[in-house]
Amino acid sequence: MSKKITFTSISDLPPLVVSLGTTEVNPTGSWRYLRPVYHDKTAPCIEGCPASEDIEQYMYWAARGDFDKAWEVLVEENPFPAVCGRVCYHPCESSCNRDHFDQSLGINSIERFIGDHGLDFSLDKFKLAGEREQKIAIAGAGPAGLAAAYHLRRLGYQVVVYEKEEKPGGILQYGIPRYRLPKDILAAEISRLERFGVEIKTGVQIGKDISWEEFLQHDAVFLAIGVHKSRKLNVPGEDLDGVLAGLDFLSRINKGENIQLGKKVAVIGGGNTAMDAVRTALRLGSTPAIYYRRTRAEMPAILDEIEEAEREGIPMEFLVTPVELIGENGALKAMKLQKMKLGEPDESGRRRPVPVEGSEYVVEVDNVITAIGEQGDFTSIPEKLVEWGVVKSDAFGQTEQRPVFAGGDIIEQPHTVVHAIGSGKKAAMAIHTYLNGGDIAPLTDKIRVGDKGGYSFLRFRDGHEGDPIDNREVVTFEHINTSYFTRKDRHEVPELDVGARITSFEEVKGTIDREAAMDEALRCFNCGVCNMCDNCLVFCPDVAIKRRDDRFRYEIDYAYCKGCGICVIECPRSALSLIPEGK
Amino acid sequence: MNHVDIQPRIPEPELMYSGHLACPGCGASLAMRYALKALGKNTMVIIPACCWSIIAGPFPYSALDVPIYHTAFETAAAVASGMKAALDQLGKSDVTVMAWAGDGGTYDIGFQALSGAAERNEDFLYVCYDNEAYMNTGIQRSSSTPFGAWTTTTPENHTKERPKKDIVGILAAHRIPYLATVSVAYPEDFIRKFQKAKSIRGMKFIEILSPCPPGWKTADDQSIRISRLAVESRIFPLLEIEHGEKYTLNLEPEGISVRDYLEAQGRFKKLSEKDVEHIQKEVDRKWEALKKRIS
Amino acid sequence: MKKVMMGNHAVSYGARLSRVDVIAAYPITPQTQIVEELSELCADGKMDAKFIKVESEHSAMASCMGASAAGGRAFTATSSQGLALMHELLHFSSGGRLPIVMANVNRALGPGWNIWTEQTDSLAQRDTGWLQFYCENNQEVLDTVIMSYKIAEQLSLPVMLVLDAFILSHTYEIVDIPEQELIDSYLPPYKPEIKMDVDNPHAFGALVTPDHYFEIRYKLQETMDKAAEVARKAGEEYGELVGRPYDIVEPYMLDDADVVIVAAGTLVSNSRAVINEYREKGIKVGLLKLRMFRPFPTKRVRELLAGKKKIAVIDRNISFGATGIFYQELKAALYGHGNGAGSPNIFGFIIGLGGRDVTLEDIAEIVDYTLEKEKNEEDIIWMGLKR
Repeated sequence: MSKKITFTSISDLPPLVVSLGTTEVNPTGSWRYLRPVYHDKTAPCIEGCPASEDIEQYMYWAARGDFDKAWEVLVEENPFPAVCGRVCYHPCESSCNRDHFDQSLGINSIERFIGDHGLDFSLDKFKLAGEREQKIAIAGAGPAGLAAAYHLRRLGYQVVVYEKEEKPGGILQYGIPRYRLPKDILAAEISRLERFGVEIKTGVQIGKDISWEEFLQHDAVFLAIGVHKSRKLNVPGEDLDGVLAGLDFLSRINKGENIQLGKKVAVIGGGNTAMDAVRTALRLGSTPAIYYRRTRAEMPAILDEIEEAEREGIPMEFLVTPVELIGENGALKAMKLQKMKLGEPDESGRRRPVPVEGSEYVVEVDNVITAIGEQGDFTSIPEKLVEWGVVKSDAFGQTEQRPVFAGGDIIEQPHTVVHAIGSGKKAAMAIHTYLNGGDIAPLTDKIRVGDKGGYSFLRFRDGHEGDPIDNREVVTFEHINTSYFTRKDRHEVPELDVGARITSFEEVKGTIDREAAMDEALRCFNCGVCNMCDNCLVFCPDVAIKRRDDRFRYEIDYAYCKGCGICVIECPRSALSLIPEGK
Repeated sequence: MNHVDIQPRIPEPELMYSGHLACPGCGASLAMRYALKALGKNTMVIIPACCWSIIAGPFPYSALDVPIYHTAFETAAAVASGMKAALDQLGKSDVTVMAWAGDGGTYDIGFQALSGAAERNEDFLYVCYDNEAYMNTGIQRSSSTPFGAWTTTTPENHTKERPKKDIVGILAAHRIPYLATVSVAYPEDFIRKFQKAKSIRGMKFIEILSPCPPGWKTADDQSIRISRLAVESRIFPLLEIEHGEKYTLNLEPEGISVRDYLEAQGRFKKLSEKDVEHIQKEVDRKWEALKKRIS
Repeated sequence: MKKVMMGNHAVSYGARLSRVDVIAAYPITPQTQIVEELSELCADGKMDAKFIKVESEHSAMASCMGASAAGGRAFTATSSQGLALMHELLHFSSGGRLPIVMANVNRALGPGWNIWTEQTDSLAQRDTGWLQFYCENNQEVLDTVIMSYKIAEQLSLPVMLVLDAFILSHTYEIVDIPEQELIDSYLPPYKPEIKMDVDNPHAFGALVTPDHYFEIRYKLQETMDKAAEVARKAGEEYGELVGRPYDIVEPYMLDDADVVIVAAGTLVSNSRAVINEYREKGIKVGLLKLRMFRPFPTKRVRELLAGKKKIAVIDRNISFGATGIFYQELKAALYGHGNGAGSPNIFGFIIGLGGRDVTLEDIAEIVDYTLEKEKNEEDIIWMGLKR
């Protein structure tokens, strides 16, 4: 700051009006009644992601071509980017602000590119603490169990995962067909966890190969055994030959079993298992069809999957439900269907299907695959932990019994891979807090990401002052200054021809190339997070914004900032806020 | 978090100091900041009576890290002529002399000296930061005030009836080597043009549409937005004219309604539907004429 | 080298010898030949200066300001309306402490149009902070241009030299042009202590509040107080070098004079001739030539006129509603300093406005009037007025 100049006598004064110092003597910050502050907020995609991936940040790095760094940011929250880049239903994209501008960002396709990029990377650098003696046992090596194992391992715990099947992965291994998730991708991401020190013991079932009491001997346990029992249709003829349970069917196929289906295959249901089953049946040479009791709009399956099934030419019959399976000599021959209509909405908000009296008709079928939902098998779990077919827990998987935690599909939450991953992470945080004699509850507001139930491991890790997702306020489209963006279509994901698809289990969707991944990431608004676009620096009329000494981001010189607010308005992504002075 | 190498969008050195006396959100202060970033330290600035007489700071302080000569209202172009002549005589021809005047000092009282210097093709850069009225004296109309605008001398029941003087057209008619319009909302374009002006010998004239929150009756934070709307609505085309003949349009906006620009400013709040239509028609007509000049 | 030349060209040659860097001027009768000659000298390469052919006198002064502020030696010339148009910038240039030199050819102001000599144009600028010198002949014109730079640059104040329209401007006289080397040794290159300089940037002329304005004005007056002595020395030094000394006031047959004529410009020459006639008749008439009008040479005037009984002030000018301007100034210098009792009677004559010829007979009439009257009866004695 320039010095204030005072003249003690007339002889000090120059003979003419000439400057002897600079206006920096004048602290114009005193004019200010509104104060701009750098204020990172939460991008809606992050809020929309049940695993709370820091999408905005990995887009920042992806756009600059630094996919190593992008991968690191991603894996802070989710150890399965290559898997999720394939199987996630990407609620992030439906939350994306860019959707209001042109098309939402292709987050999932970039995630997949990043995942593939880092497929062989080590997790070692994610280790946050030295080895701890405490041992944690996890039941179930599905996405929830493995996610919990990963984060606990990061925190230094000795983790053993018991998996009743031959291979780890759970639904990823045995539920999702290969054409959606090639098993080598899954294997790569799981083996990475093993190299990280997560011990996985396969062929071990709790309550059978190891007793509940023995299981409980660990310092903490995490239950993530999934739900595998297909719901029954509860109609006559369900025991006929040719009637298959959806999940069981998919599991057998994934295990390499050769199942001979007939020509006409009816798949009952509208969820993801139904879609997977029907598309698998198609690839086995049958002519399958979907029978669903509501309409397309009510189908719980991921829209992508429905569309892919349609693209593959699979017919879908809506507003019908089987009322009888008709056999001949113990073998299925036909199916009696009843037409339905939509009535009042049920507790899920969807309109309840109501039978239309006298509308029954019969179709000939060789196989029926049921896919109307799954339920858990809790025979090995103490009864008191279970209620209404789920393990009772809070948002962090804490059950009524310490040190039992639960996650994935056995607790009350949507049955998606990414919800399972999120629940594993949340449980890991709760277990860590518990083992350190604390309670997760007081921390929740600090680590919350938006209002949709996501929690950040990064914030949990170190409290994160100034972290990219430091603030829970979610940026809406109205906060985006679209003047700084130009309309641009998103990059399409390469897909296999329909002809090529139905003859094999080859992966349907491809990975976009590096250039496309960078270009697509450049479409990201980077909602709520400074990406150093320089707008604030460039547009400050008072030269009151400067680069920080470390050249990372900026600082505001409040001695001079007049609080005009231009920096706030012209920030393309709402990474600044204007707050009343003196607060 | 690490970060990638920073590639500044505009030159980093600051030749304007904080603590200057511009109102919050002043377009003219931002304009000076950009101009000096483009021209660099080897620059002298001549400021006739205008907002910048105040912004630059009272004795014994200065807001700029380059020499300033404060002069009488109507003299910017003439003082610049003399200063450049002396610098040439003293072997300092590499110094850029920039006259920096408001619209009053350019369109009105300084017009004669400007026209004279332009006709003589004096080797300096004349910049008009045009806030479309006598803002420093408290918002009185000038010949740059647009049709329909409120000022204290074109009060609400009698806003300006005549259109803004076409200073760009007038200067183009002088066939000076370089003429450009710039907007504070387009800093890269702004700086490129100042740098280009610096490299050209002879008379250069740059017109800046310079938003004035108190005079235009806008919020302090709207200055960039309004500047952008002026360009996007084609009210203020970004262009360059070389030797009065070669026209270049630097940005071809889709052309939003003038209403978006007008409605953003309190000074236009008394405009009738008919007035807005009239303004739109005039803007369209001038745009077409401009397009013809380019082709 | 001696040359026969008109007063206007004497101005031009004075500027050339002063090695001015920048000339900015606008033509006006009767100053035109100054501009024409300088323009040719520059065009022919006989003079290394930039000539800016501005579009008005106002811009002429503005350009000189710019040039001077950047450290250049600036020159302009004008007359009458042109000077009036510059008025604003006369304040600006002196306040900016810019040593600009300007020649003003005394001409009457309109309306109606009158191109002939009168002193009102320059005298009306007396409060602008410029030094003013009135010249009696073409040689003095040339010499005064050079001395003006010497004085202006020492004081950081602008100087106006004044010559009568036509009587000097267009009249050819023998003028000795000093050697350039001689003048170079007298007038070194202009090197201001502070100027527009990219390596040492300052803002000049910014807003100055009542906290400081008063003192800075005081400083200008303080410099003016030194100006008389600086000017006297400059004239003396010039005399030593060139052989033609000048003083700020010049007495002629003053010591024993009963009646003293006070005049400036070419009226001095007329007066000298008349005094010679009266002296031959044994009548003790003397003269005080006012070369310098601003700052008013009060001290010298008081010394030289001490004990005189009658003074006739010849004004070719008028301050409407008051009197002749030299008359006012002289009275102001002589009265009110505790010497009232012995003070002279001062007679104020206004004569020759708008270029009306002032003959030797007219001056003789002034002398006779003054000799005859015991004391001054009216503030304005109109001479040659056709009642």
